Amino acid sequence: MPLDTSTYSLALLRVDGRRWNELRRIHAQIRTQAAADGSSYLEMGHTKVMCVVTGPSEPGPRRGGAGGTGGGGGVGAGGQSKDAEVVVNIVIAGFSSVDRKRRGRGDKRTLEMQSTLANTLAATLHTHLFPHSQINISLHVLSQDGSLLAALINAATLACVDAGIPMTDYVTACTAGSTSTYAANDEGADPLLDLNHQEEQELPGLTVATLGDSDKVVALVCESRVQISRLEGMLAVGVDGCKQVREILDQVIKAQGQKMILDGTVDKGTGLNDMDLD
Amino acid sequence: MTSSQQVLLSPAELSYLHSSLSLTPPIRPDGRSPTQYRPLSAETGILPGTNGSARICFADGTEAIVGVKAEVEKTKRKWDDDAVYTENSHNDDEEQQQDGRGEASNGNGNSDWVELTVEIPGYRDDDPSTVFLAQMLSEALLADGGFIKKLRINRRFHWKLYLDILLISPPLSYPLPLLSLTTHLALLATRLPRLKSEGDEDPFFDDDWAAAPYLYSRNPTTKRIAERPPVTLLVMAVGGNIIFDPSKEELAVADVALAVSIGDATTSQRSQGEDDRMDVDSGNSGGRNLKLLSIRTVDPPSRLTPPGVANAANSAYGHAQVVNTGANQKMPEARQTESEAVEGVWKPPRGGAKAIVMGALVQKVLVRGGVADEVLDALEGVDTS
Amino acid sequence: MPREAEPSLNEKNFVLQALQDSVRLDGRELEEYRPLALTFGDQYGVADVTLGKTRVLAKASAELTVPYADRPLDGIFNIATELSPMTSPAFEVNRPTETEVLVSRLLEKTVRRSGALDTESLCLVAGQKCWSIRVDVHVLSHDGNLIDAACFAVVAALRHFRKPDTSMEGGVLTVYTPAEREPVPLSWLHSPFCVTWSFFGEEGDIALLDATWMEEQVRSGSCTISLNKHGEICQIAKLGGVPVEAVSLLQCTNIALIKAKDLSSKLDNWLAEDAKRRDKGGLLAELSAENDRVPDM
Repeated sequence: MPLDTSTYSLALLRVDGRRWNELRRIHAQIRTQAAADGSSYLEMGHTKVMCVVTGPSEPGPRRGGAGGTGGGGGVGAGGQSKDAEVVVNIVIAGFSSVDRKRRGRGDKRTLEMQSTLANTLAATLHTHLFPHSQINISLHVLSQDGSLLAALINAATLACVDAGIPMTDYVTACTAGSTSTYAANDEGADPLLDLNHQEEQELPGLTVATLGDSDKVVALVCESRVQISRLEGMLAVGVDGCKQVREILDQVIKAQGQKMILDGTVDKGTGLNDMDLD
Repeated sequence: MTSSQQVLLSPAELSYLHSSLSLTPPIRPDGRSPTQYRPLSAETGILPGTNGSARICFADGTEAIVGVKAEVEKTKRKWDDDAVYTENSHNDDEEQQQDGRGEASNGNGNSDWVELTVEIPGYRDDDPSTVFLAQMLSEALLADGGFIKKLRINRRFHWKLYLDILLISPPLSYPLPLLSLTTHLALLATRLPRLKSEGDEDPFFDDDWAAAPYLYSRNPTTKRIAERPPVTLLVMAVGGNIIFDPSKEELAVADVALAVSIGDATTSQRSQGEDDRMDVDSGNSGGRNLKLLSIRTVDPPSRLTPPGVANAANSAYGHAQVVNTGANQKMPEARQTESEAVEGVWKPPRGGAKAIVMGALVQKVLVRGGVADEVLDALEGVDTS
Repeated sequence: MPREAEPSLNEKNFVLQALQDSVRLDGRELEEYRPLALTFGDQYGVADVTLGKTRVLAKASAELTVPYADRPLDGIFNIATELSPMTSPAFEVNRPTETEVLVSRLLEKTVRRSGALDTESLCLVAGQKCWSIRVDVHVLSHDGNLIDAACFAVVAALRHFRKPDTSMEGGVLTVYTPAEREPVPLSWLHSPFCVTWSFFGEEGDIALLDATWMEEQVRSGSCTISLNKHGEICQIAKLGGVPVEAVSLLQCTNIALIKAKDLSSKLDNWLAEDAKRRDKGGLLAELSAENDRVPDM
């Protein structure tokens, strides 16, 4: 356990050579999947996820157990609701981690992430514009190296932008940690930005998702024991990291927009024509 | 089990589709010729964390990713099995495969050395259609007897291969051909660390990934792959026509649909006459020596489509006859009218397919220089190194 | 699946309107808990918690088993949550709803992953014998704030629980019945408590504690913070919902710490009272031939 912290205090460099406030390389693409309404591919370091959005569309026939363990993470009450239902489906590929570990769809951690994502997006997407409909978001985790939830949120945001679903602003997420081992209350501990898998295992950390470039926190998930005094520093670094991520995602979207204008591809405007604005 | 989700086509549209596909030559909605595959783009080695990986996008936008991971596993064995062992353990019958008798001691493999899972977004992993897909794909692999043997390390250890097949896009068409081709490429790109230990000692491996040999070995000089994993082709018959790689709409009017798995027997030295192997010697035009590994009928959704009603029998056109299709089934005279083919009225196929149609379908797949050859050639063009 | 009837539009607006003026339907302050009561059962390890009209029963039990192959030095500790149709028709047996999954995940993260119970102390013979401690949580009545009540019940049940005493002599493991040796408490490291904030309004600027079911139905977001009295955060879960300023979340955490300390001292008192009630002079008193019947005059 002390491996990370001890080397850190000497050179102020982390295991992968980053400084405390450095993000890993983020590479993102949108419109990766021709058949979907919106899609994205996102890499945060070695964490790689793909997202495919279908909808808003008519809710499909309910398959057995879709509301419970199958689909999972639905927000809003099916076709009856006056808001669109956001259904999130996460598939963690067996080959995504170093040791192959298969998680069934009933895995509670995955279900919790599905529910977190659905609630996060439902708060940001203008679901009231699409009554009696459903927005399907399916995410595939191809490789994981820490900050999984953050990567999933960022990828889902990009794909929703690509799908042309009206939303308040970008929801961006990143992780933050602290170099103090948990429970220890040393004052000299530095907060860290964007944890990789090894750091996530050894150090206390949290995932934070914010709305646009405001300080408003949409989701905050902390799963490790940490002194309450560490929280403020971690949250500040995390929120700041989210703003950096937002800049990067914004550039990705703008670059794609420019490319489409140059190519003369006229956006089909999925959902824009038949949407009634109020 | 339906082979894809419900198609929302009216009986009139189905009837139109059926008759245009029955023409000679058939007219397909997307303008392909009957033997033409959808264009595809493919890449391999996309995931550095796996032993082998591949991604294929079909032109209709469907996309799949396959990752292969290998682990060393201790071989379970039964000593008393050597004598009882017979050569026909690799037949098509899954029950016989599953009983997992210790073929390991004979230098062959065991079917549970390979674990194959299919993930389709929106479907549970224990959904019958997902399980059926995984079953078809793994049975093709296992039927190719040479494949399992490659996983043997020594008498005590073997590689356990995990194939995770992900469909990324929504399932727009029946994903079997896509998943099969992607699995094929991923297996071609699969490399296992080079063994440094000898004999039956605990295996240890070379750390140098660059030295890792491919699971499907290449000829050192020509770089050609000597042996290839199986591919599964989806083929269907409408009227007298045989159509390859049908789309969802085409499948909705199929008389019969087959999933045919074939292997490349060109360099196979081990055609020990296992029951299901059938070398096709018809024609001597260049091309591969294909062998048939397995056949499965796929239940086409056409059987679930509601039949159309001819104008002559439709009360909306002033005829007082009973036209409730639900009630029709019970009345013999109504069934009489239904079974007569009326031009322009959709009639879902009933009953099984004729043996001669089945035979023709299989022949068409195995013909030298045919579609199977084309597909294999195209896959060979993909850089898997 | 039957669904719980939603509150009418009028009801919703009334609750929200009142909250704008910092008035709650039951007249509580925003940061005030409903009256909390805890009853222990006759057996060790049974805790019945009522929080207003919410009632949760937790029962701890122990059995001897074989440790997991990958963790030969650790005992087994599980929390099983069940929301039965008795609580609400929306809950079905054998089909975990989203609420149930989230509640059990939160309890798991709060109590199990934070290391409240020393699982190493549950191991008797490495790789062969260990205690498996299991807590069953039954929700008897649901009127909001399930998580806080359930977490309190689990911690109370585990701290109240006594497992049979054991000894190892010359490779022979002996488990003593309660009559032979007094059962021993679990090796407990710290007591985490969940404090759930509910946020209301478009901006999430109204925050309150211990929401009732009605308030939960109209809230626009929530955040559960688990802390112990030493000021350690064990878990924070704001799983989506309305965006809230980071600064107000920090404030929420600080208030949550005060509440957690309060809950902690309440539980300590109750445990001490119960211990006093049970302590009638130990085994000797129990074995004495005298009975406390008053002889007839």
